[in-house]
Amino acid sequence: MPRFCSRYSCLAIPFLLVWLLGWAAAPAVAADTVNAYSIWPENWARPMFQEFEKATGIKVNFVRFSSGEALARVIHEKNNPQVDVLFGGPVETHAAGIKEGIFEPYKPPSFNVLPPRFRHSEGQWVAIADDPLVFMSNNTFLKEHNLKPPASWGDLLDPAYKNMIQMADARTSGTAVTRIFSVLETYGRDEEKAFDYMKKLRPNVQLYTKSGGGGTLPVGLGQAGAGIFFIVDALDTKAKGYDVTISFPKEGIGTSAEAIALLKGAKNPELGKKLIDWAASPAMQSLFAKYKINFVPAHPEVKIEPSLAEVLKGAKIFPIDDAFAGANRKRIVERWVNEVLNPK
Amino acid sequence: MTSIAAARTDGWRRTLRDPALFVTVFILWALLALFILFPLAKLLARTFLDGGQITLGNLVAILRDVNHRQAFWNSLLLAALVGLCGTVLGFVYAFAAVRANLSRAWITVLDAASLLPLISPPFTTAIAMIYSFGPRGLITYHLLGIKGFTVYGLHSTLFSETLTYFPIAYLTLKPILAGIDPNVEDMAFSLGSSRWRVFRTVTLPLTVPGLANAFLLLFAASLADFATPLILAGNSFPVLPTQAYLQITGLFDLKGGAVLSFVLLVPALVVYLLQRFWVSRKYYVTITGKVGAQTTIKSLAPWARAPLLGACLLLAGVVLYFYVLLFYASVVVALGANHAWTWRHYQVIFTEGLKAIRDTLVIAGAGMPLGGLYGILLGYLVAKKIFPGRQAMEIVSMINYALPGTIVGIAYLIAFNDPPIVLTGTALIIVACYVFRYSPTGIRATVALLQQIDPSIEEASQGLGAGSGTTFRRITLPLILPAFFAGLGVVFIRSMTAISATIFLVSINWTLITVRILENMTELSLGPAAAFSVLVVVIVFAVIVAISGLLRRFRTPGAVDMTSILGG
Amino acid sequence: MSAVGIRLEGISKRFAHRVKGEVYAVRDVSLTVQPAELLTLLGPSGCGKTTTLRMIAGFEQPDAGRVFIGEQDVTGLMANQRNIGFVFQNYALFPHLSVFENVAYGLRVQRQPEQEIARAVGDVLALVGLQGYDRQFPNQLSGGEQQRVALARAIVIRPRVLLFDEPLSNLDAKLRVHMRGELRELQQRLRISAVYVTHDQEEAMAISDRIAVMHQGQIVQEGTAESLYRHPGSEFVAQFIGRTNLLSGRVRSAGPGEIELEVAGQHLRLPGDAERATAGQILRLVVRPEVIELRPADSPDGIAGTIVSRTFLGEKAEYQVRVGADLLQVTSYNPVQRGLFTVGQPVRLHFPAEGIQLLPGGPA
Repeated sequence: MPRFCSRYSCLAIPFLLVWLLGWAAAPAVAADTVNAYSIWPENWARPMFQEFEKATGIKVNFVRFSSGEALARVIHEKNNPQVDVLFGGPVETHAAGIKEGIFEPYKPPSFNVLPPRFRHSEGQWVAIADDPLVFMSNNTFLKEHNLKPPASWGDLLDPAYKNMIQMADARTSGTAVTRIFSVLETYGRDEEKAFDYMKKLRPNVQLYTKSGGGGTLPVGLGQAGAGIFFIVDALDTKAKGYDVTISFPKEGIGTSAEAIALLKGAKNPELGKKLIDWAASPAMQSLFAKYKINFVPAHPEVKIEPSLAEVLKGAKIFPIDDAFAGANRKRIVERWVNEVLNPK
Repeated sequence: MTSIAAARTDGWRRTLRDPALFVTVFILWALLALFILFPLAKLLARTFLDGGQITLGNLVAILRDVNHRQAFWNSLLLAALVGLCGTVLGFVYAFAAVRANLSRAWITVLDAASLLPLISPPFTTAIAMIYSFGPRGLITYHLLGIKGFTVYGLHSTLFSETLTYFPIAYLTLKPILAGIDPNVEDMAFSLGSSRWRVFRTVTLPLTVPGLANAFLLLFAASLADFATPLILAGNSFPVLPTQAYLQITGLFDLKGGAVLSFVLLVPALVVYLLQRFWVSRKYYVTITGKVGAQTTIKSLAPWARAPLLGACLLLAGVVLYFYVLLFYASVVVALGANHAWTWRHYQVIFTEGLKAIRDTLVIAGAGMPLGGLYGILLGYLVAKKIFPGRQAMEIVSMINYALPGTIVGIAYLIAFNDPPIVLTGTALIIVACYVFRYSPTGIRATVALLQQIDPSIEEASQGLGAGSGTTFRRITLPLILPAFFAGLGVVFIRSMTAISATIFLVSINWTLITVRILENMTELSLGPAAAFSVLVVVIVFAVIVAISGLLRRFRTPGAVDMTSILGG
Repeated sequence: MSAVGIRLEGISKRFAHRVKGEVYAVRDVSLTVQPAELLTLLGPSGCGKTTTLRMIAGFEQPDAGRVFIGEQDVTGLMANQRNIGFVFQNYALFPHLSVFENVAYGLRVQRQPEQEIARAVGDVLALVGLQGYDRQFPNQLSGGEQQRVALARAIVIRPRVLLFDEPLSNLDAKLRVHMRGELRELQQRLRISAVYVTHDQEEAMAISDRIAVMHQGQIVQEGTAESLYRHPGSEFVAQFIGRTNLLSGRVRSAGPGEIELEVAGQHLRLPGDAERATAGQILRLVVRPEVIELRPADSPDGIAGTIVSRTFLGEKAEYQVRVGADLLQVTSYNPVQRGLFTVGQPVRLHFPAEGIQLLPGGPA
């Protein structure tokens, strides 16, 4: 019946529109595509991947997850890996993954040039950057409370900071794990003293954030007074225009390498290897300066960008022993959750 | 053969005699088993089985953790408070809209303000809350001069969730209050009652089932809310859905996450059962569009009108404030630091975020007709046809809707990752999750609509020579078309705005706008997060308008108005 | 097309009742509807008449027995295969279709060509007096108009039989009277067999060729209106068809073709079957209100009584008269001319023998 047909056919139109809209936005599929989970935020990963595509013609299909989520996914997908490469992220994340047997050892050409702490002995991962932790504080807050930018771990215990510090949650963020191990190092790996400090610091902590850089914006806005972050996140906040100061504790603060790894059972292992080759080489790391990504390059041949070097001048920075960290991570994090996060 | 046994075999015989019915029932059961029962079973297995043995060990291990126990009580407490506050607000709102003799203009304003939270992606109020109420918040610091105000914790989560969910109470209570015959109140007046007394002894008691229903709905919604506490609850107030999420994504403990979601399942199930077997028995929600001659409503004293309207407008104003702030965040460079006007964030979402937009639209677009179709098919079968296991089918179809999204997401993650059925990484798993979670609204609308259609109409068609297929196609289907559209609309809206289930289901191939918003918020790219949110609100609003239009156009002359169901 | 009849053979239908357990809605019903005849199933609510009708239509399946339309055994066929025309109590018009589309529905199912449909629909709408209503929708029509659309829809497909399920009960009294005449006239004109269900005995008597009275799932008596009225076979039928007084009478003697009874102190000789009556037996008598004659108190014969109440209705007056312990209904026609009695007035009642019906069997 003609009337019926026209009635029903016009129903189809909205569906068609939505579908068309969706498919119209579909990007053209490139010939070669490698899949990756990126722990680096999109703002940094995307330009790098675009440069990679320019250099090699290989497209990178990626999704961003925080380090904990990425690792959880990769472990969960062990039997049926969805991606080829785990890109970026503090090295302790990769170290934890080794135990689960999710990586395929691979040594890119630059492997032997890298300092030992920037590579796994068997090639389970290689470092593509170095990322020191810093203190970042809000200038207005400092002025109001007549404080200097914190220059010691002990400075953060000042009652003026009560409920005004933000830092990462060790359950989800690699930043936090690096921070905790930094504290451990400054106390000479004396766990009791280290945990004592962290417990004393607790009342001053407004929020333990899900992601490492989660507290940077609140500090930038003045919602929080200070925080402990990776330098990339801190300088990014400053660059956005927020009124903050970067400082370093005199006792020293840790740094964590950012790593890349090939997944076992990856569907495009050759392409993945090409990405690793490129990322571990000056080809990518010399681009940090261009895109204002404030990582310290891992490859010895790449010079640190001058303004970054300026910030780092005089800072006492020590590497985290990732063997030690990897072996004790679970236990330390659990202890932190039980004694520091939710004190009874 | 006794009559009962005769009836049962009669039921089987009849079903077998009608091959179309038999096949349809079989297919539906297969779908329900696959996408509702199987994941749930796997979840329970993960919780209670350890190497083939049934054990409570996992449960005990989780519950032994003080943090988790605290999260359990916190969840209940928060849910109860949200239920209470939201219901009260919703009642005040509904009362003002229906019984205060407001002009159409005011009512439209109130309606619009209540619509916004329903069609928004998550985190919208949370973002605005932090800017407004943080230690240096717009309102607490700049406006009121309070220093060191803590924005994280129970109070802001409660505030945010109440604002987000009170429209549900509003939409539930509105038809009930509207349905109370003003003549009943007139009757009470004529017997000498004061206004307050009439309210207390006539209006309120008639509304009580509706209040109970609204409370339970809000309780369930808050219990399941994963997004708001993630931002606002802070570390001192853990709640279960967030804990389950963190357990999996932070500690990569899938088993622990499964157990936590099971703990969440228990109160959710209790609430669902209460609702189904206690509250809904007590009253009949008649969605009537009939506007007969009415006396003017006198239940509200004239002096009370203005304050009531004022309170509602204040509430509407608060809601609007949050959305204005959201829009503002999307058009300035960096909220709180650089307030230069820019379209940059929108550029970003339409270039870098285009994949998410495309994926979400494709998934929502696929889920929409599937959900609508599934909704009317199941609703029709359950309401009209007699076959063995009919009641069971209806209950099972509601399960995923009643459960918090976190549970469903984790269940799907566990169930579809390994053979025999591997769906992780596909769009199908997300579409299936949406279809089976959000179709029940369409199912219920279909059932309600069918209950209003006299069975003799279908018999008349049969008597005129039409087979059951023709009858369904030419008589039943056009009459339940409004339920189809309502079901469509709800699936689409929820597909655009949901996160708690699907955060576990996104993959390298398919991502969703809501997940991108979360990522952006985590990366503190507030501009793009806000821009995405505004985009979602605009798209959903446009679709609602379109569907309302379609509902009106295809409405049977003299039939019921279904637009209010879009709130469900 | 020549008319066909309907035949039911031993139809039964059981239901499971929530309280009573298994219940027979229809028990062992057999009846025959002659071609082009209108037979009414008459009875109080719950007597099984609608269930029987629905089994003829095919909306219910009998648990036992068979249904024939013409010579065809349709018991196993579904309703859409029986070529029936069913008119529902609430009309069951399709609310989303116009009047034209409602009526055309059955023809479309038969895949008739458009022109044929338009012609047939036009004809039948004219037949029921609804020309020009094509584009109206059911919710715009009055009750009577909806009823006529339902009727048109049923007959346009040229069904073999017409089935009516209390089609007039939703109309007001005047309209009901008017419509029942129209229905009857239409049925006769079209020469289609019809089964009509109603609880209204006046309606049944007005339009039927024959009436089947049903009670508790069974047919208790069948016949024309006149035969049912004049010769009710049971108290139930007597009281259901028309109104009646029921009196007890003691048999004094029984002679050939005649029985002498003592009724309320009066001796009556009634024609009757002597075999049925033995001396001393109590029999029940059906005495219609209009056969009782009221005479002034000083009349020579008759039974003494007193007027208890009087209702003047214009063409008749209805009295309640106390006779001994009984209260009798008496109807007197043309009272204005024939004389009115007043309340409290003593009167004498005369029972003419030819107006009294003996019921078989002993006292009820």
